[in-house]
Amino acid sequence: MPETVFHTEKLVKTYRTGGAEVHALSGVDLDLYASELTVLLGPSGSGKSTLLNILGGLDHATSGKVMFRDLDLTVQSDRALTRFRRDHVGFVFQFYNLVPSLTARENVQMVTDIAPNPMRAEEALERVGMSDRIDHFPAELSGGQQQRVAIARAIAKRPEVLLCDEPTGALDSSTGVQVLEAIREINEDLGTTAIVITHNAAIQAMAHRVVRFQDGNIASVATNDTRIAPSEIVW
Amino acid sequence: MHALDKKLLRDFRRLWGQSLAIALVLACGVMILLTAFGMYRALDDTLAAFYERNEFADVWAMTEKAPRPLLTEISALPGVQTAEARVQEYLMLDLPGRVKSATGLALSLPDTGALPTLNVPLLRAGRLPDPQASDEVMVNEPFAEANGFEIGDTFEALMSGQKRRLTITGTALSPEFVYAIGPGTLMPDDESFGILWMPQAMLASAFDMSGAFNSVTLSLSRGAQEDQVIEALDTLLEPYGGTGAHGRDEQASNAFIATEIKQLKNMATILPPVFFGISAFLVNMVIGRIIALERAEIGLLKALGYTDLHIAAHYVLLAGLTAVLGVVIGWVTGGLSARWMAGEYAQYFKFPYLIFNVSYDAYAISGFLALLTAAVGALRSAMGAAALPPAVAMSPPAPPRFKRSLFDRALAALRLSQPSMMIWRSLFRWPLRAAFSAIGLSLAVAIMISVGFFSYSMSSIADIAFNQSNREDIVLLFTKERSLSALEDIRTLPGVMEVEGELFTPVTLRNGPLEKQLSITTRGAGATLARSIDEAGRVVEVDGPGLLITTRVAEVLRLAPGDSVEVEFMSGRRETYSLTVAGVTEQFFGLGAFMTREAMSHLTRSVPQISVANVTLDPTEDDAFNRAIKDTPLISGAVRVTDMKASFDATVEENISIMNGLFSVVAILITVGLTYNSARIQLSERARELASLRILGFSNWEVSYILIGEIMLIAALAQPLGWLIGYGLGHLMAASFASDLYTIPMVLPPAAYATASVVVLGTALASVLLVRQRIDRLDLVSVMKTRE
Repeated sequence: MPETVFHTEKLVKTYRTGGAEVHALSGVDLDLYASELTVLLGPSGSGKSTLLNILGGLDHATSGKVMFRDLDLTVQSDRALTRFRRDHVGFVFQFYNLVPSLTARENVQMVTDIAPNPMRAEEALERVGMSDRIDHFPAELSGGQQQRVAIARAIAKRPEVLLCDEPTGALDSSTGVQVLEAIREINEDLGTTAIVITHNAAIQAMAHRVVRFQDGNIASVATNDTRIAPSEIVW
Repeated sequence: MHALDKKLLRDFRRLWGQSLAIALVLACGVMILLTAFGMYRALDDTLAAFYERNEFADVWAMTEKAPRPLLTEISALPGVQTAEARVQEYLMLDLPGRVKSATGLALSLPDTGALPTLNVPLLRAGRLPDPQASDEVMVNEPFAEANGFEIGDTFEALMSGQKRRLTITGTALSPEFVYAIGPGTLMPDDESFGILWMPQAMLASAFDMSGAFNSVTLSLSRGAQEDQVIEALDTLLEPYGGTGAHGRDEQASNAFIATEIKQLKNMATILPPVFFGISAFLVNMVIGRIIALERAEIGLLKALGYTDLHIAAHYVLLAGLTAVLGVVIGWVTGGLSARWMAGEYAQYFKFPYLIFNVSYDAYAISGFLALLTAAVGALRSAMGAAALPPAVAMSPPAPPRFKRSLFDRALAALRLSQPSMMIWRSLFRWPLRAAFSAIGLSLAVAIMISVGFFSYSMSSIADIAFNQSNREDIVLLFTKERSLSALEDIRTLPGVMEVEGELFTPVTLRNGPLEKQLSITTRGAGATLARSIDEAGRVVEVDGPGLLITTRVAEVLRLAPGDSVEVEFMSGRRETYSLTVAGVTEQFFGLGAFMTREAMSHLTRSVPQISVANVTLDPTEDDAFNRAIKDTPLISGAVRVTDMKASFDATVEENISIMNGLFSVVAILITVGLTYNSARIQLSERARELASLRILGFSNWEVSYILIGEIMLIAALAQPLGWLIGYGLGHLMAASFASDLYTIPMVLPPAAYATASVVVLGTALASVLLVRQRIDRLDLVSVMKTRE
């Protein structure tokens, strides 16, 4: 039995917009394991991103329980969540979210400056194949290159978990593949637990497990017996 | 260097235009604080040092003639440390190569040949006169310089009707005459007024003062009560025609400098807060907007594990860099201007040296205040940024809530165009921001008005003083009081057209516990040269026994027409009367009270007398007249009203144009700071909106109208408020300038308001147009594509 990294019980998240209540998550029970690459699949508004935000300590649950190993995230203060993110979590976002006024290297350094045991920014960039663009500003990079810098930034702290929210959502197929390739390598080479959100069903084939979301709940969980390399994925 | 610090520096570089605009406003505050404070310090320190080193006296008194032995009694008064007696006389001077006469104030030097023990002249060149000499004199340095005198040069003085040729043995500066103002004049004129130190024996024999004195100065021991000493001294001097002792507060030179120091202090405390307040608002506005634009980055920083403190500090530091820029500019300009101004002051006031200590505390205080201002301005926004939950920060902000209101119905009824509607809606969507911008701009208007009024006030002062009240060309001062027949002697001088006499009588006016020492001016009924003018500009004539007083006297003594006032005469029989205030008259220089010759003569039961003659001249006989008065024994001096007016106008024009220029720059900087930043923020907030309009087919100028319209609307709304604040601030300034030496009337014609508004609105428009150019460069496609 692999080690459990995240464990959720009856996880509920409710948003209040205007007068109406929106149930983003309505009682999610899920376990995520160490060194596993999990794909969360589902249409917009099904609750994938909300779950990822709560797992990453970006948001609080309305009720229920979220455990990161022995740490109960639901009872942590903002300060403790900040600590948790800093020490354990790497994020990759759909729109890269690079700081436009910093170069590729400096964007990665934003993390290495504050992480306890980071790798060198150059090393992180090398891992995603961006060594030759190290001193370029985001505006001088293509979308795929920007996303790879974002991944380098996420892994530079040697996180235990890598949370990727639609990492290929803004990219075409061939650049998307490069990005997925980078994620898979991190997962395999460093043993980092990776959780990838997507609504692109083609991507599920590279995962160890696939969790399908529907209306704020888990519709199904499937384990892939045979995984394929990102380079074989086409969409 | 940390990546976050690099981001900070790059952000700062990107925002340089806006940062500079804020920094300049901040720099103004720092500069004015440094200049005023530095000046105040320099003046205060220099004065204190000069007074201490040269034994500036604490109390002065004049008598007609008191015996020398009385000095022992004076010295023995409780509280008196040192007492010194001297002879003091005004002399008519005939200077070589100068047609016009000059006036000298002769002061006796001790018989011993030593310097006086009080008000010690600081020898600048040459030596003291020989105590036995009968033709030697030491003069004050500015007088020598203004007239081009060297040691050994000579000039003539009329002493008791005798012309004496005097040789200059040395020059000196005295703490008593830092601001040397001649009798009857308004401002120093070193060419025509000099201080002459002469041997006691020579002066005493010329003025029949052997074994006597007519001036006494005292220094007080620590802890002495000045009032009590003055009272005791007055009692001692009364039998010898004492005219009332006074302390440093009424010593002419000291009073002028004290007023100046007070004004600098006011300036250092009133103005900088205005700049710091505006800067705080600007910082708040700009940082707030940057944070709004960087929501996603803030969310990212939080996701990466940066703490709230990190993030708040990041934005406060961004404001801090702006503040540092402002402080550096302010320190450099302030340091230079303080030094420059100190130099100017040193020329204006006659100090032997200038103690200009760089006041590190002023630098520290101004720097600290500027940084604090920026921090306060940034803190609210920065805390807000830090408080954003990361998940919220990373999602786009909700569109601003525009709500239907009564106001919308009003707008709809006006049938405004859509762009106009957008302008008004946005104004009411952020009423606080609009209000602060308007207040800031109104302060710019107010600052210009509050200084601009001076030039109008000064013209009004000059008009009332010279064209309406004092219409004579020249005032001749008699050596002592004369009967009216002296006017006939004056009438025979060449070129004299009209002659009128006036008598100045020193008195103390009392109303209950309030009292003032001043001179009552007595004039013949129907005098046409020197007249009293009321607030409405009408000539005021006193009919009967009443006393006419000036507005300042009325204010200080709380008197109104019809009130009775106690008048104690400080000369002659020294009687005390109760007189009725017959009216109030406008006079901006000094304190004054007026009576008719008949009333005075009746009151004092004496023959009418005069102490000055007011004269109008035939200009073609000017030289002949000037030559003639130098040889007229009964005259001790001449005040040329026309010269005085010219030098008044010149001084005022120079000072006022410097002040107006300086404050216009300040108003312009504030306006640029506010409007440039507002426009930049508007543009960034509305880039998508404006680009959409462009795509819909609006022209560049139609779109620009929205940007320009809103800011100019705010600027226009700010004007009435600015006029109001300017009026109030002007009053405050005028009130803070008011002293017994002079008062400044509040004269604000519509032109003063108009000038301020034109400058501010013009600057606002120029600033917005600068930003408007960016609309032409809007990349429509990329703006629309950019994720909010």
